[in-house]
Amino acid sequence: MRHLDRSRLRGLARALVGATMLGAMALTPALAQEVSLYGPAAENAVSGGRLNMGLLLEPPGLDPFHQAADARIRLTVLVYQGLFYEAANGTAAPLLAESYEVSEDGLVYTIKLRQGVTFHNGKTMTAEDVAYSYNYIRNPDNGSPGAGDFSMVENVEVVDANTVRFVLSARNSSLPMTLGNKYGGVVPAGTFDDETAKNRINSESVGTGPFKLVEFVPNSHVTLERHEGYWEAGMPYLDGIDFSILPNSASMLVALRNQRVDLVALSRPQDVQQVAGVPGLTVERWPSLAQTAIDLGSELKPLDDVRVRQAISLAVDKAEITRAAVGEYGTVLGTMTAGMQEAWGLPLDQVPMQGPDRDKAKALLAEAGYPDGFNLTLTTINGFDWMDPASVTLKEQLNEVGINLDIQRVDLGVWVNNFRSSQMGFTFNDWASQPDPNLLFYRHFHAKPDGADFRNWNNAEASALLDEGRAEPDPAVRKDIYNRYQMVMAESVPTIMLYSPDHVTVRSDKVQNFVQHPTGWYFGLARTFLAK
Amino acid sequence: MGSYLLKRLAASLLTALLASILVFLLVRMVPGDVVAQMMGQAGGENAAAALREFFGLDQPIYMQYLAWITHVLQGDLGVSWTRGIPVATMVGQAFLVTLEIALLTLFIATVIGVPLGILAGIYENRPLDTAIQSFNIIGLSAPVFWVGLMLLVGVSATFSWSPPLRFVTPDRSLADNLAILALPIASLGLLQAAAYSQFVRQNVVSAMSQEYVRTAIAKGVPVRGIFFKHILRNVMIPIITFMGLILIQILGGTVIIESLFALPGLGRLLLAAIETRDYPVLQGALLVVVVAAMVVNLLVDLTYRLIDPRVRVS
Repeated sequence: MRHLDRSRLRGLARALVGATMLGAMALTPALAQEVSLYGPAAENAVSGGRLNMGLLLEPPGLDPFHQAADARIRLTVLVYQGLFYEAANGTAAPLLAESYEVSEDGLVYTIKLRQGVTFHNGKTMTAEDVAYSYNYIRNPDNGSPGAGDFSMVENVEVVDANTVRFVLSARNSSLPMTLGNKYGGVVPAGTFDDETAKNRINSESVGTGPFKLVEFVPNSHVTLERHEGYWEAGMPYLDGIDFSILPNSASMLVALRNQRVDLVALSRPQDVQQVAGVPGLTVERWPSLAQTAIDLGSELKPLDDVRVRQAISLAVDKAEITRAAVGEYGTVLGTMTAGMQEAWGLPLDQVPMQGPDRDKAKALLAEAGYPDGFNLTLTTINGFDWMDPASVTLKEQLNEVGINLDIQRVDLGVWVNNFRSSQMGFTFNDWASQPDPNLLFYRHFHAKPDGADFRNWNNAEASALLDEGRAEPDPAVRKDIYNRYQMVMAESVPTIMLYSPDHVTVRSDKVQNFVQHPTGWYFGLARTFLAK
Repeated sequence: MGSYLLKRLAASLLTALLASILVFLLVRMVPGDVVAQMMGQAGGENAAAALREFFGLDQPIYMQYLAWITHVLQGDLGVSWTRGIPVATMVGQAFLVTLEIALLTLFIATVIGVPLGILAGIYENRPLDTAIQSFNIIGLSAPVFWVGLMLLVGVSATFSWSPPLRFVTPDRSLADNLAILALPIASLGLLQAAAYSQFVRQNVVSAMSQEYVRTAIAKGVPVRGIFFKHILRNVMIPIITFMGLILIQILGGTVIIESLFALPGLGRLLLAAIETRDYPVLQGALLVVVVAAMVVNLLVDLTYRLIDPRVRVS
């Protein structure tokens, strides 16, 4: 088992955050390079060769501007690049940006662009391309799920051929992280002028990333090839990557054993156990920014009563649910995902309303007028393996305090509709975020209309703290604000964060220097090489 | 014959049109749409509305249908909403994969199933019949995913080999193509052979108990003559009917086998299109399945007319 050497990165990150967020201070490229983009460079890397990677989940499309699915982002981060890179430790490191300055009032970001960057079509990237790409994505009329993240951007202006200026309507300390690689990326100006481009971008390659898309054959494979004009000298090491889409995990394990695939990310503990100890294969675990959670929508009575929500939180034994759901391959959470706990999390021993404390839960239920409990329906989603064992365990736990749980499974499409219309009720959830507390909490938990407040929480104190945390440039002060926010969230229970499922990867021994990013996206392939 | 064909074709066209309306409405009854899928938990309502407009989902359903069917009649199945590839290309490629699976499965099932069924029928209640029936019952009761998985795991454990993951068409490399298809065809073929064999056996047993056969036997007509003249002729129609059934069943897609062996066939295409609510692909693929089923039925009917004069007269 191997873990990220995060302490060194963290020290650098603090220096970097301090340098960037305290006002008009330019980053030197040398410092930026210290936060290794995509993962650590290898000392004895060998260039060449093609990697065969197995995918259990097919990307529903490869459009970085209009497709929000995680299965899409995992691959497109290799093809498209934003101005910043979401370093594993929560720092936004310059990627297509070279350095940046923030005005005194925090409303203007002047970003110097990296020079010598070429698109996959051979054209050189200019400030005009950058301004076009971010102005396109931030305009809701263009239909990007990422548009909401950019709502505070009023305009992106070209200063000169190598400089752009982002003008904000309100301070936002996570702007650099928002300019990362989740949505969009820099594409040539005018890419979407032709309406059919929205369709074509699924099969064309117009990015600046280390790999370019060669072919996407649905239900079969995705082929990437090294971008010969890539701006990082000597990178990537691989000539290309062949992603084979194989939706059945039993077949995937057979393919791994027979060297049909060199690398795969697995999600079910029983699958991992089957390849643990097989000669020639190495199983690795990585911290994650994903979370599984129980959401409590206040529109559903009696969840509108905070005492009922607290009682449920106290009745839940997160460790037991984690064991039932993923065995040992998960990290129990307080109020922060595992990958961000050290940087931004409220210390676990300070998180209030954590169970199991059934006596206190019963007392709260009695106080709320439910001494004999009540009936409640839990919604789970088809296709999410962990939800079945977790729901049975939760039913038993809630039964101990008198709450009788009915379990209802629905299709993802139905669930998403309920969720987006803030009618989620009592449900399991499974979601992920970039390594930044504002991007994690704001949209989900800030009161409407600034946030989406999917759980109808409508908590003024929490919203005020979220506004404060977003505007605050000083990382230490920011951390304190988010700790206070997490206290409020844990006390008032709009959600119960359960565990972060570890990322588990299995690689053949010839695959070297692959690091799984905590987002689950395959950034690490840009630093992977094959031993001869 | 000509007028019969014309009538059949007209009826088929009408059926296809009705099927297209049904398919169009059915796929829209599944909750959630492509925009909800693309947005997930992210995205605001403005952006969602912009995407709905782009896909034409803001139009009334009958307008959407008219727009679609007009293009279909001009031979344009549209472009996939999530893959950006023409639907005709996607469905065409997937259909060819599925057609190859279907034809090879039919071949294996016929070559194994029909002789076994005839033998079992002729030797009814004798040891050979018992042995064949045992095979049939195992084949009829074993789930296809289990047989496929056992073959895959068994071959991997024994020969340290598993099929290549990327599908290759037979024109590019027949050897690679067969290496990929060997195990899935074996799984499907054996199960269909069992069903086929059981079906043929019943028909042979039934034909043998007919009075004209028993009379012929009593009159001392040679066994070979009885078999070819009386039995085989009478079981030919059911044999052909069953061939059609196997073809239609597999042409509709074999999701489990396709998923297990990474085959890019119609079953997986349909499943992915349902998951992403990619209506153009879903409609195009279902339409192709419906038309393929009608063509097979028509071929089966025409074959009846060729082999049985009574059908021709009626």
